[in-house]
Amino acid sequence: MEMDAIRLTNMVKKYGPTVAVEDLSLTVRAGTMFGFLGPNGSGKSTTIGCMTGLLDPTSGEIELLGQRFTAENAAIKRRIGVMPETLGLFEPLYAHEFLAFVARMFGLDEITTRKRVTELLAALELTDAGKTLSEYSTGMRKRVAFAAAVIHSPEVLFLDEPFESIDPAGVSLMKQWLRRFTEQGRTVFITSHVLETVERVCQEVAIITKPGKLVWQGDITAFANEGAVSCGGQQFRALEPLFLHLTGERYADLNWL
Amino acid sequence: MNTVLIAELVKLRYQLLWAKTRSRNGRIAIFLAGYILLVMLIALLTSGGFGAAMIAVRSGKAEMVARVALFALFVQALIATTILGFGMNAIFSETELRRYPLKSSERRIARHAIGIADPFWFLFLALELGLAVGFYVNGVGSFWLGLIATLALFVCNYLAARVLALMVDRVMQRKSGSFILIAVIFTVSMGPSLLLPVLKKNPAIVSASLAALRYTPPFGAAAAMVRTDAGALLGLGSVFCWVLGLAAALVALERRPPRQRVQAETTTMNWDGPMDRVAALFGPEDAPLVAHWLRFYARNNRFRILYMLSLPLMAFLTFNTSRRLGPNGLFAVALGTFACVCFLGTSRIAVNLFGYVGGAFRRYFLLPTDPAAALRTGSYASLMLGGSMLPIALLAWSIFAPYAFDPRMLFMLAGTGLTGLFVFHALGLWVTLYNPRRGNYSSSFGNDLSLGGNIVLLGGMVTCLALPQVLVLMMPAAVSPDNWWSVIPLALAGIGFYVVSLKHAGRMFVGRREKLLAVVEGKA
Repeated sequence: MEMDAIRLTNMVKKYGPTVAVEDLSLTVRAGTMFGFLGPNGSGKSTTIGCMTGLLDPTSGEIELLGQRFTAENAAIKRRIGVMPETLGLFEPLYAHEFLAFVARMFGLDEITTRKRVTELLAALELTDAGKTLSEYSTGMRKRVAFAAAVIHSPEVLFLDEPFESIDPAGVSLMKQWLRRFTEQGRTVFITSHVLETVERVCQEVAIITKPGKLVWQGDITAFANEGAVSCGGQQFRALEPLFLHLTGERYADLNWL
Repeated sequence: MNTVLIAELVKLRYQLLWAKTRSRNGRIAIFLAGYILLVMLIALLTSGGFGAAMIAVRSGKAEMVARVALFALFVQALIATTILGFGMNAIFSETELRRYPLKSSERRIARHAIGIADPFWFLFLALELGLAVGFYVNGVGSFWLGLIATLALFVCNYLAARVLALMVDRVMQRKSGSFILIAVIFTVSMGPSLLLPVLKKNPAIVSASLAALRYTPPFGAAAAMVRTDAGALLGLGSVFCWVLGLAAALVALERRPPRQRVQAETTTMNWDGPMDRVAALFGPEDAPLVAHWLRFYARNNRFRILYMLSLPLMAFLTFNTSRRLGPNGLFAVALGTFACVCFLGTSRIAVNLFGYVGGAFRRYFLLPTDPAAALRTGSYASLMLGGSMLPIALLAWSIFAPYAFDPRMLFMLAGTGLTGLFVFHALGLWVTLYNPRRGNYSSSFGNDLSLGGNIVLLGGMVTCLALPQVLVLMMPAAVSPDNWWSVIPLALAGIGFYVVSLKHAGRMFVGRREKLLAVVEGKA
């Protein structure tokens, strides 16, 4: 039987009286490239935060790779990779120092660490060894954060807005890597606002609305084959109209604009 | 001149200050700061400015007292801004202001209008105004001349602080900047002590110096406050000349971008530096985190300055505060300053470990380790760096102290040094957890500590400096080398407090991570 890589059961996250995620249940099969979509402030990053140990869910259960996950479960953390929304870079460090730090924390030995850091820096064209991370451009910083997420070959990869600010060549390279990643049976969980990219790379998506409420989950491979996806009795030929239909289209007439 | 927009920006600065009251910590800080400010203001205005003016008039030395008071205030403001960073926080950077429809000159005026409208500067203004009003009420000087002189001196003081800060910043851009700065501070701080005997022997130098000082802003303002003749106008004129000169210097310095220190283009990657080797002592699990924290400290410009300054600064304080305390005074004061020397250098980051990491705070929780390891290792790194000052300070004491070598003295100094090191780091853990503040890692100026951080740091220093002085007067046996053993329980208590704090703070860290995250990412 195929194992679920991620399983959320009735997950709720509240900040005081404010509900950020409401009773979210979700299942992601292993080996899937999964898109997690929603409008701004709908709870995507909060959900990833709960799934990666940054935040504690108020209630509900999280299972990763078949095991119950909590913030202190180091064994599971060793098997996942995360590229957080804020990138999580230690800015005074050089790129190689930062990646070596992450690799050592994930238990890679010295030789493997050096080999992988060197290869990742070269592949992602981060060869400016004289600059600290604070001196890098936004796109380069994003590449470093991506490298840090994959350096230990995780089984599940969480990427929060991975494609924004990266040039087309970088996005193309990342997409190639991610495809190979899932072909090996590993799972990628992506949040993104770039629906065209999600449409091309993801096999399945979940769409949430405020406050973290799941409104649709399904297979979208049909879009890549010029097909359509049906939802609520309607046929959609692209992800964008489906997304706008589910999250509610907005139109405001600002005649001065 | 777009005065409306500039006024709106000044207003926004206070709206942002007021917005801080929305959080509980902010409310406490604002309440305490406001309360302290109010109390100090009243105390200063009455006993300081007004009172000084009254005494000065009665003693018939109005101008002399005004000169001394204004000069002291002027210098105090410069020290407080340049060394402690008060009143130097940049609320809006030049880049931030560029988004508004302001010309370059208007942006500069807006930045400095916001800078001078800092509550810190108003404290000095209040005192100077108290002095001017005091003179007028007691029948000396003109109200309007006094008022104009006070305002001009206030602006002059602000401009001087900004120019000095920029100059220090430029010096620090140079490779030998830290050494130059230490040499300057040493010269300035030791100068009066060295010059005093020379001046006593040559009164002519004193009168010549006083004549030259007439043209300084405080002396000029003093003349304008207490006189109504041509001397007042001359004094006022000299203050205005200073304002113009300093404004020109400030503009010139701001226009000339700092020369960036040329960094060696590292073509080879260094995998196993000294930090990694030191950190390896902590075992494979903690070593990468300790190495990360050591780099975090070592690459911080302000840490480097403070770390290098801590020993000379404490040496200066030891010698200066012990003069009137008898033969054992120097040793007694050193017992306190040895405690300070171990925490001063690392203090800014040690009381706010996560305040300067920004979004990278999330990384600590993504790592496959006990999340509390981030707190623990940050404290270890700070302990190591702070503790490294102790043997250097002991060596300096052995060489320079005017006492015959006495191992009991060294033992006691090491004991209080260790006590200060551990007690301060224990308190730093609690402030890190319960009163963090988002700061700018690369900022050169400004006091960006939280209220708790300031209380621990400044309160700690005042205690370390005052307590031995009290003991030497009231309980001399407590600071005598004969009772060398007394530091053993003290140091053990300090270590115990640290160990217990580390254990409990580590447990609480995970529970408080969401609150910390909100603060360090600027969402609280």
